[in-house]
Amino acid sequence: MLKRMFNSLPGPTPVRIALGVAIAAVALVALFFFYDWLGQTYLDTGGTIG
Amino acid sequence: MDTPNDLADSAVSVPKPSMAVRLIRGIGWTSITVGVLILGFVVQQLFVTDILAQREQTALGEAAEEYFDSAVVEDVEVVPGFGIVEPGGNPPPIEPGQSSMILRREASPELGTAFATIRIPKLEKLTEGWTIVEGVRRADLTTGAGHMPATALPGQPGNAVISGHRTTYGAPFHNLDELVAGDRIEVDTAIGTHVYEVRERIVVKPTALWVTDPRPGAWLTLTTCHPKWAASERLIVFAELIEGPNAEVIKAIS
Repeated sequence: MLKRMFNSLPGPTPVRIALGVAIAAVALVALFFFYDWLGQTYLDTGGTIG
Repeated sequence: MDTPNDLADSAVSVPKPSMAVRLIRGIGWTSITVGVLILGFVVQQLFVTDILAQREQTALGEAAEEYFDSAVVEDVEVVPGFGIVEPGGNPPPIEPGQSSMILRREASPELGTAFATIRIPKLEKLTEGWTIVEGVRRADLTTGAGHMPATALPGQPGNAVISGHRTTYGAPFHNLDELVAGDRIEVDTAIGTHVYEVRERIVVKPTALWVTDPRPGAWLTLTTCHPKWAASERLIVFAELIEGPNAEVIKAIS
């Protein structure tokens, strides 16, 4: 699946690699914020009242 | 020798995986993906937030030291039986034999400002101290313990409410459930060190706003999530001021 996604990126191979790295970085950051929201909503809110 | 046409024929003749094989392969890849995502979540919650909080604490500790030197502190007159005489206000008549006292009052810090340090000698994580910032927004609590605005500041008359994470972001209040009546809690602010003694520990719903209500005397209320790894309830520790720059004055006016 990853290979298919990589092949579907536009441009020559170096451009595809750069695009792939950029998309992976954005996805990781988005995942981090999602994890953070999940944790602070359901596991440990920081103990706030009200 | 194979001709190009023969090779093409042999490539086409590779049998397609059956539906069952494709299904098992799909379940396998899905399980691996879900497993990696869950592992990532655990690593982020257990280790990454901890590293981030520890790094913030180092910077906040220095910021709090600077704040101690620059904080606005004023001495206000207090008359037992009357209360605080606001600067510019009319002082009450002082009866013979009665004398006024001085309360050291600190101005409220701005949101996000590191302004105090909490130490709990009994809890390993807090023997060295954990910096308190003003505010209980998510961003505030990821850096330190947070003081709830509109409640009294530590060392002042009323009820100072401080919230902190229990299992993530450095987990300053991880073992708050080990505190029992009589344990000491120390809070450093710009006017000195205030020593509190634990009076009570309870578990309430997250909506129990009454725990933040002002009380006669000077109280410290610590709040955190309960049980560990869940946000369904709150563990509350009430402690009363017993020593510090304002302890005697507050006792006299309460």
